[in-house]
Amino acid sequence: MVVQGIRKATVGQNGVGAFILQCKRLDFHYCDWAGSSKGMNSFLRNSLTKFAALNPQVEITVSPRPRRHPVIKGTYINGREKAICVRNLTKEQVLQKAELLRDANGEKLKKVTKPVKSINESVRGVWSPYHDGGIHV
Amino acid sequence: MLSRSIRRSILDSRIPTSALPPTFLPNRARYFNSTVQHVDAPAESLDASLLATNASTEALETVAPVRRTIRQKVPLPPAPFTQPIALDASVKEMLPLLAAQPSHYISAHIHAKPYLVTAGDTVRLPFHMPGVVPGDILRLNRASSLGSRDYTLKGTPYVDERVFECRARVMGTEAEPMRTKEKKKRRNRRINTVKSKHKFTILKIAEIKINSLEDIEGSGESV
Repeated sequence: MVVQGIRKATVGQNGVGAFILQCKRLDFHYCDWAGSSKGMNSFLRNSLTKFAALNPQVEITVSPRPRRHPVIKGTYINGREKAICVRNLTKEQVLQKAELLRDANGEKLKKVTKPVKSINESVRGVWSPYHDGGIHV
Repeated sequence: MLSRSIRRSILDSRIPTSALPPTFLPNRARYFNSTVQHVDAPAESLDASLLATNASTEALETVAPVRRTIRQKVPLPPAPFTQPIALDASVKEMLPLLAAQPSHYISAHIHAKPYLVTAGDTVRLPFHMPGVVPGDILRLNRASSLGSRDYTLKGTPYVDERVFECRARVMGTEAEPMRTKEKKKRRNRRINTVKSKHKFTILKIAEIKINSLEDIEGSGESV
């Protein structure tokens, strides 16, 4: 007899019952000396606490990256990472980039042509010529 | 008008608490640029109306008058139904049968575009919806058809929104790969490269529910 795994009765779908944000961590890297970090440093001083408080499900770390451009890195549940260089951006633009990383799902960008994606089987089933009277020629 | 009705129906579960200050709204609180809102007090509950008037006076004190003209980010609750629903006899007969069947589909309209969905489907809207954050729940109240394996309720042109409840959760925002298009005119060396990258809101259909006949007919009379 062949060993069989336990078959799953249902498939977990994020958002149908509970919702888990795909972004799990945001790393903010800054430089104290370089001018390209000016907006980033202003963001860290003024807006980061509010941003962090509004997004309690995201872990936020701040670390220096001396003599380099400022970077925001997002780590996602699927194991991928997205990094955005925020050199010479203003405080508001840095916030926009942070929100972009928070809203993203971590997947590589793909061109999607069909708007609806489904794993459910067809509700009305496949049409059969042998049922429901059929076609009289 | 349609977009307004959708925006109005955003997060109907949030409506009773919208009289409270924004700190009480976990989903709305994550919306970074949220301003203090003036929300009309619900008439029926005394405590809530007291809270709301307090909040509105605070809003008057703290928010500059210029900012009050900005469009509301938190939509108003939808207007209550004044007329009782007029259901056809055949609909009354068939709707319980439709509801009893195991799986349902709905052709929900967003900005006049139909999306044929079942519960659990992912919808990539062809636009970036403003004012929503991941985790928000939208109630889709416009549908042109609603059905199960053997029955379909077709709208003329739309199904009455009291018949069903369809909720979608905002999953996030996705972008497409950068598009480049080369613009070249004849007999000229110059090539202009146009770049574009659009953003799209992703929804997940969280719930499709068909209301029972008592609920449908009671909703018009009670209000």
